[in-house]
Amino acid sequence: MIQIKDLHKSYKMGKNSLHVLKGINFNVEEGELVAIMGSSGSGKSTLLNILGMLDSSDSGEYILDNVPIKDLNETKAARYRNKFLGFVFQSFNLINYKSAAENVALPLYYQKVPRKERQEKALKYLEQVGLKEWAGHLPSELSGGQKQRVAIARALAAEPKVLLADEPTGALDSKTSYEVMDLIQKINDAGNTILIVTHEPDIADMCKRIVHLKDGVIIEDKKIEQVRAEQYV
Amino acid sequence: MFDRDIWQEIYHSISNNKLRTFLTGFSVGWGIFILVLLLASVKGMQNGFTLQFSDDATNSIFVRTGTTSLAYGGFEAGRRIQMTNDDIEYIKRSFPNDVEYISPRVYQNTSARYKSETGSYNIQAVYPDHQAIEKTIVNKGRFINTNDLLNASKVAVIGRKVEEDLFKNEDAIGKFVEFNGLPFRVIGVFTDDGDDNAERNIYAPTSTYQKMYGQTNHIDQIALTYNPNYDLTEALAFSDRLENVFRRRFKIAPKDQSGIRIFNYAEVFEDISNFTGGLDIAVIIVGLLILLSGIVGIGNIMVFIIKERTKEIGVRKALGAEPWSIIKLVLFESVFITALSGFIGLGIATGLLAIVGPNIKTGAFANPSVSMSIVVTATIILIVAGVLAGLIPAMKAARVKPIVALSDK
Repeated sequence: MIQIKDLHKSYKMGKNSLHVLKGINFNVEEGELVAIMGSSGSGKSTLLNILGMLDSSDSGEYILDNVPIKDLNETKAARYRNKFLGFVFQSFNLINYKSAAENVALPLYYQKVPRKERQEKALKYLEQVGLKEWAGHLPSELSGGQKQRVAIARALAAEPKVLLADEPTGALDSKTSYEVMDLIQKINDAGNTILIVTHEPDIADMCKRIVHLKDGVIIEDKKIEQVRAEQYV
Repeated sequence: MFDRDIWQEIYHSISNNKLRTFLTGFSVGWGIFILVLLLASVKGMQNGFTLQFSDDATNSIFVRTGTTSLAYGGFEAGRRIQMTNDDIEYIKRSFPNDVEYISPRVYQNTSARYKSETGSYNIQAVYPDHQAIEKTIVNKGRFINTNDLLNASKVAVIGRKVEEDLFKNEDAIGKFVEFNGLPFRVIGVFTDDGDDNAERNIYAPTSTYQKMYGQTNHIDQIALTYNPNYDLTEALAFSDRLENVFRRRFKIAPKDQSGIRIFNYAEVFEDISNFTGGLDIAVIIVGLLILLSGIVGIGNIMVFIIKERTKEIGVRKALGAEPWSIIKLVLFESVFITALSGFIGLGIATGLLAIVGPNIKTGAFANPSVSMSIVVTATIILIVAGVLAGLIPAMKAARVKPIVALSDK
């Protein structure tokens, strides 16, 4: 699903150049649940940005679902993001004046899906995350865990190839974190490819594979026995 | 492009920021309000001028003669030019299609007496046509007629003030009043919208005065109106022709300003329309500048909104919003706010004018109002203004990097 070859990225900070990614090589197969771990400054966020087409690499290859991702202008990048990727953010990033259903329907709006179909799909995905009866509520009326579940429903609504989650449990307490992880595991069970950036070992343990980044290189890449979140819920 | 979702977005954005939207819209509404009021004021001035001069027929020309200042045609300077009744006939013959009404004026000061009341007044000895030239309103009795003129009758049409002064509470019609000791019968009383002073005038037949004072046919002035269908150019051309004919007739040098003076109201109107036209342009410039500050205000606030919504825009982009859809959103919101508030300003201004306008009628200012063309122009300006105001912020929004969605600030 994802093939990355010798990916380099450096940022210019005044006169100095900061080499953040120093040759990353890794592949993700369909249906994987990968945790990308690393301390801050390890380059994990930069990697996620490049995977998410929010940033471009200096050199190297990135192939997503057999489509080489390079030389994207903004419009094209937007289309690819919309088509291939679903984002889950640490701070949920729901649009606060839109109801849960409207938030979920937003990626579909950018896919130019007709209004009625959009609403039906939004409800379907809200149901999948167990929030159907909250469809008409504004994000401010939801708890943190509920917000993240709406965000996950939003990421799923576009039916992306890969789900990218940036510290999805970073703003949640441990009980809610496990609930969210339980949901992510179930989505993964259904066959979705998911990448999670996290620095919490217990969250990483709930994935099927851990990629450890340090100073811009992968120092460890191992498959693990998944810890099911269900038991903590 | 005008799908329901865009409107929903705009509705959300506005209803979540009511104060901001109000403040933004206010500046534009205010700009349009002032622009419309200014334009209406110029219109009011125009109306006022027209009203002031419409007391006299606006197509009138006055011919006055004096003393020549230049030697010409074998005559020395300092010759007195005297017009006579023949000149009236001459004009009538020479310009049968141009002249509508024509009357001489013979001026005479008189002390008038009725019973024990006396007063000093100006008498103008005129033809019946004079009523139409001065638009004299006779509200009691009648004006001088052809018979009075033929018979050189000692009749007088007196102003309302004269009647008030001399006759007190009596009805002047049919009474005899003495002018310089000679009895005249009052046949009419007139009023004048123009001013009270005009109502201190007295009209009498020209022939009467010419007979009383030396059997002459001298006249002091010729007042006439030209064909009312003439436009400004034709009117000015006619008075030029008239002047040329008179200069030839009396052998006055072409550049001699004191030998003959022809006063054409059209010239005044030309001046006024030039003046108000210039004022119109000045007002439009001032109005547009005021509006410009409104536009800058909207642009400014839109930039601020974009800054405030940077994260939201980033999220939208991460979810797949193309730059154009973001530009569209900002632009539509800007145009919508501008147009809506502009229309409110326009509505209030035109409403105010519709209610207050007709009641305003003082001196040189009457019935300020706006024409449809101003309203249409203002509308177009508003929409253009909205686009302009939204353009820079929209482009700024389109440049927002979706990466900001990930940064947790």
